Amino acid sequence: MNANAATINDAGIPPGKTGTWWFLASEIPVFGGLIAAYIVVRLGSSGWSAASSHLNFTLALINTFLLLTSSMTVVMAHAAAQENDFRRVANFLGLTVLLGLGFLGVKAVEYTMEITHGFTPAAGIFWSFYYGMTGLHALHVLAGIIANTVLWIGALRGTLARQGHRVELAGLYWHLVDIIWIFIFPLLYLA
Amino acid sequence: MSNAHSRHYLIIWLWLLALVIVSVAAASILPKFQALVLIFAVAIVKALLVARNYMHLKNERAIIYAMVLIPLMFVIILLFGLFPDFVYRG
Repeated sequence: MNANAATINDAGIPPGKTGTWWFLASEIPVFGGLIAAYIVVRLGSSGWSAASSHLNFTLALINTFLLLTSSMTVVMAHAAAQENDFRRVANFLGLTVLLGLGFLGVKAVEYTMEITHGFTPAAGIFWSFYYGMTGLHALHVLAGIIANTVLWIGALRGTLARQGHRVELAGLYWHLVDIIWIFIFPLLYLA
Repeated sequence: MSNAHSRHYLIIWLWLLALVIVSVAAASILPKFQALVLIFAVAIVKALLVARNYMHLKNERAIIYAMVLIPLMFVIILLFGLFPDFVYRG
C-alpha cells in the first residue's frame, strides 16, 4: 500500500474506501428507484407474467452462476493482494474478467434472441423496464470489467504491488453489481 | 492467501448457489404468493451474504453502514410512498 492509500481519515477509514462506499451509496437510489418503479407499475397493471414468460430463463440462470462465481473470484483476488501474492491476484482478476465477459456474451445472445422475436424495448412496458434494468446493469458490468482489466494488467506487470488496495475497491464495486443482479434476476425471471 | 479465508469464501459461494436453487424450486413448486415471499426473502439473504462476507461489511465501522442504509431507507420510503397510488387508483 502506498503512502497516500495508507492515509487514514478521521473516521479511521482509508479515503479511497470512503470514496468508493460513497459512490456505491449513490448507486442505491439509481437502481433502487428503477426497481421500485418496476414493482409499483407491475402491481398496478396486468399481463406482465405473460410477457416475462418469453424471457430465456436458462440463459439468465447461467448468468446468475457466472456473476456469483465472479464475486467469489474477486474476493479471492483481494485476499491474495493482502498476502502480497500478486501472481494469484492476476489469476483471480483474470478469471473475474473472463466471467464478466461471459456474462455480457450470454446477455448479448439473450438480447439477440428477444429482438429477433420482436421483443424490442418498444414492445410494451415490461420490455421497456426489462431493457432499461438489464441494460443499465450490463453497462455497470462493462465498467467493472474495464476496472478489473486495468488491475489485472498491473498485476501482470508488477506495478499493482504499490496499489494493492485498489483490488479491494474494484472488488467492492463488483460485488454491488452482483447484488443488483441478485434482485433483478427474481424480479424479471421468477416473479 | 490463508486457507481459512479461501475456505470461507468458497463456503459462502456454495451457499449462494444453493439459495439460487431454492429460489428456482420455489418458483416452480409453491403457489404464486408463497413463492414470491420466499424468492424475495432468499434474494435479501443472498445480498446480505455478499455484503457481509465478500464486501466485509461485518467488519466495517458504523459510518459505512450509515452510508449504505440512508439511501436504502429513501428507496424504501419511495416504494411505500408510491404504493397508495396503485392501491387506491388501480
